[in-house]
Amino acid sequence: MIYLDNSATTYPKPLKVRQAVANAMQMSANPGRSGHDLALKSSEQIFLTRKAAADFFHFSKEENVIFTLNCTVAINIVLKGILKSGDHVVVSSLEHNAVMRPLEKLTQKGISYSVAEVFPCDNDKTVNSFRNAINGKTKLIMCTHASNVWGIKLPIERIAALAHEYGVLFAVDSAQSAGIVPIELDNSDIDFLCIAGHKGIYGPMGTGMLIISSNTIPDTLIEGGTGTGSISFKQPDELPERFESGTPNYSGIVGLRAGMDFVKNQKIETISKHEFMLIKYLYKELKKIPKVKLYLPEPDENYFVPILSFNIDGMDSENVSAILNKNGIAVRAGLQCSPMAHKMMGTLETGAVRISPSVFTKLSDINYLVSVIKKI
Amino acid sequence: MEKPLIMVSSVTYAMKGKQLLNNAGIRCEIERNPKRDIANGCGYSLYVPKNTDEAEKILKENNIKIIGRAERSNQK
Repeated sequence: MIYLDNSATTYPKPLKVRQAVANAMQMSANPGRSGHDLALKSSEQIFLTRKAAADFFHFSKEENVIFTLNCTVAINIVLKGILKSGDHVVVSSLEHNAVMRPLEKLTQKGISYSVAEVFPCDNDKTVNSFRNAINGKTKLIMCTHASNVWGIKLPIERIAALAHEYGVLFAVDSAQSAGIVPIELDNSDIDFLCIAGHKGIYGPMGTGMLIISSNTIPDTLIEGGTGTGSISFKQPDELPERFESGTPNYSGIVGLRAGMDFVKNQKIETISKHEFMLIKYLYKELKKIPKVKLYLPEPDENYFVPILSFNIDGMDSENVSAILNKNGIAVRAGLQCSPMAHKMMGTLETGAVRISPSVFTKLSDINYLVSVIKKI
Repeated sequence: MEKPLIMVSSVTYAMKGKQLLNNAGIRCEIERNPKRDIANGCGYSLYVPKNTDEAEKILKENNIKIIGRAERSNQK
């Protein structure tokens, strides 16, 4: 199989990630609970992953790294833990339902939101769009770092600075950028970074992180045992335990560290360069096929992450995906859980076929994809 | 001041504290609290047999939340 669905989850996982997960399952006890050697060793492994994550995102407080089930949970913690009745939120026109569905739910509690239009390849206009959407009740700007459909990259550092200029908190959904685009938290105005562990970081599915850089700490969504302060029914205030009640995904978290080590060893810049080489090549090849519809200029590193979506004239994207699957090629079609991104490009009815490579994708894989598309 | 056990408020602080103290050349081990602390319930401590006061100062300087100091159980 040629796997080109890495925006959903990277596959295959690096050998060291698979080994780390297997080793963790062979020898582990519940971390942060008991005092015997195996439990303490497991606690140390969790802590080392926290430290590795802080280091990966150039952040000085490892205790502010919170492990979650996925990026969606991290986003929910921010939105539901920060916003109160009467608050207003600004999001981009490219948001995933991971942002839009919790926001829609929050409208039932008196929270409102505005959508700032994103202008591909024009960061000035995009930043102005965010500025115009801020009002006196705006508490938070939350936006994706990069569209999971079109690969369009948002100027998050500029939007972060804008947010702080207006005294507004800023949260980023980095599901499609972490591991592909360097993110340096200590040098940025990002308050909350929501991360998928199983995509560009090459960790196991079922891993995600929330890094809190702000002094504003969200309320909790889940309460329960933390192994400490057990006399009290009150949820602890300390990070990260405040947000990590219950037994964690130990083997997943250990595997996540192996994934971050893998990306660090490969170097983000090298991975990005490789994937862009493939995507630019694919763009040029698809451009030569008259029945293929492309929606944006050739992606480059300044304005995109290496994702490319297209359609074939007169065909539903799911049908194209099914034909590719019969030919041994795995891609994602449909709306990719991002109806707003499709509305922006006029593809709500057809969806789009998304190609997302990884560090393991070869040029020959792309050539085979092009040859199959030509035959459709 | 005796009481070589420094009780901290979370296992993460215990791990971070151990690393800070080891980097400062102070030997320590992580243990569960010697007995259930009535005020806080179960939790983790750093056992610092030597230079405990200095260790406590380093931990406080690095924003490790300390719950208190305790004697170590005789059985250990």
